[in-house]
Amino acid sequence: MLRRLNKNNHHTFYTMRILPLILACCSFTMVCHAQDDLSKMFTDSSTAHQPVIGTFKSTRIIMGHSNETLKKHELDFRVAHRFGDAGGSFGGGKTAFGLDNSTDIRIAFEYGITDDLMAGISRAKGSGDLSQIFEGLAKYHLLRQTTDDHIPVSVTLFGNATVSTMTSNDNPESASHFDQFTDRMTYVGQVIIARKFADLVSFTLSPTYVHRNRVGYMDMNNLFALGGSGRIKLSRRLAFIAEYYYPFRSQSSKDYYKSQGVKFYNPLGVGLEIETGGHVFSVNFTNSTAILENQFIGETKSSWLQGQFRWGFNISRRFSLFGKRDWKK
Amino acid sequence: MKRLFLAIAVLLGTVHVYAQDIYSCRNANLSFFSSAPMEDIEAKTDKAVSAINIKTGAVYFKVPVNTFKFRKKLMEEHFNENYLETEKYPYAEFKGKFSNPVDLSKDGTYDVTVEGILSIHGVDKAYKEKGTITVQNGKLTTLSKFNVRLEDHKIKIPTLVIKNIAEVVEVTVNATYVTAAK
Repeated sequence: MLRRLNKNNHHTFYTMRILPLILACCSFTMVCHAQDDLSKMFTDSSTAHQPVIGTFKSTRIIMGHSNETLKKHELDFRVAHRFGDAGGSFGGGKTAFGLDNSTDIRIAFEYGITDDLMAGISRAKGSGDLSQIFEGLAKYHLLRQTTDDHIPVSVTLFGNATVSTMTSNDNPESASHFDQFTDRMTYVGQVIIARKFADLVSFTLSPTYVHRNRVGYMDMNNLFALGGSGRIKLSRRLAFIAEYYYPFRSQSSKDYYKSQGVKFYNPLGVGLEIETGGHVFSVNFTNSTAILENQFIGETKSSWLQGQFRWGFNISRRFSLFGKRDWKK
Repeated sequence: MKRLFLAIAVLLGTVHVYAQDIYSCRNANLSFFSSAPMEDIEAKTDKAVSAINIKTGAVYFKVPVNTFKFRKKLMEEHFNENYLETEKYPYAEFKGKFSNPVDLSKDGTYDVTVEGILSIHGVDKAYKEKGTITVQNGKLTTLSKFNVRLEDHKIKIPTLVIKNIAEVVEVTVNATYVTAAK
């Protein structure tokens, strides 16, 4: 039957039989859409520029700050501890690999004033020239990385001031000899630039400025440093973290201290970050003995390679205050 | 050929008529409640969107998961980061229809059963749930409560917090619709 159709007939055949079929199909699809797929009515305007969350689990990485701040009305109770040298002449079995000694302890209360601004106070034992230290700190989350890379990085500002309450050293040459009250003070200013990649890996880069009002001979009142850190998530609750600081100490200062038999080392820490609901534990190993930036950046004199690294931990417990009141609003 | 174009015209016309049967809501309220031995957890959002076609009975819901607000901000972070993985699965979505045709042209309150696919955490599951629709002055108000089993959507609760988070959470949907006729 079909074979006998000439070209003209062929044409007619297509217009009369196939075309309506195609058109009918098209219109049918349209009707189906109008009937059942209501999702087309809502375009994705609300997903634009969503902030990336959880670049780090805590406001600290190992030694220094992460880009994270506390949320509004959150209270963070923090305890950090650094033990003695695991190896070297002060470590080994006789001190249970450093557990018998503690080089620094810090206890802090930190509070979220807004979702972007936090402040805190702390007391640290101190390890370095100064000890018995009170600290006041503030931290502001300036920019948040967005999921669509409209803002590619998070930027957080951190600043603190510390006062040492130790007895003034009798030796007027000493860094801990105080002629006036301001000699007891040190300051840190820091910009924390962070980025989270594909939910698994996070990095920070932290240009840091440390100012110590009083330092030893040939030490530096103004010291710049660059901090860097990384986190790899091993599971949803466990992450591997590493952090490093490079202080820009002048050659003349290095040379002088070397002639005195003192060598400065760059702080390096590695650890695990474990989250358990409201707690975040960081279990770590560092060569630096001090906990505060004011000290570990410029005063780390212990070396990983000589076994002068130590076990340490940071514990953070976050409480939501005014939760019921805020919730009802 | 004339009849053909007529047919197309009619079909296209129908599409237009259908648009008047669609009611939509851009600030639907969604909340969920988890009651576990250690604590009760509640979260809510008013950023869900929804539409109902009263002729065909098609029902649609979509909610940006990260708009859920919790009493504790840290919970909110864990919810997004650890459980719902919001960056990977930003929306929860429901596509379904009325199980039985309901005439919503007159004012009144109607019991309806809706069946369809709910996608949470990137995992689809079929649901058949009851709700009510109130029609008044050209507005529809829907109310529904149903249970979601976290396991069904591959939301894992670690044993450490098993006493804090219930395995089944109760979801409440409350939305007011106006006609979407253009």
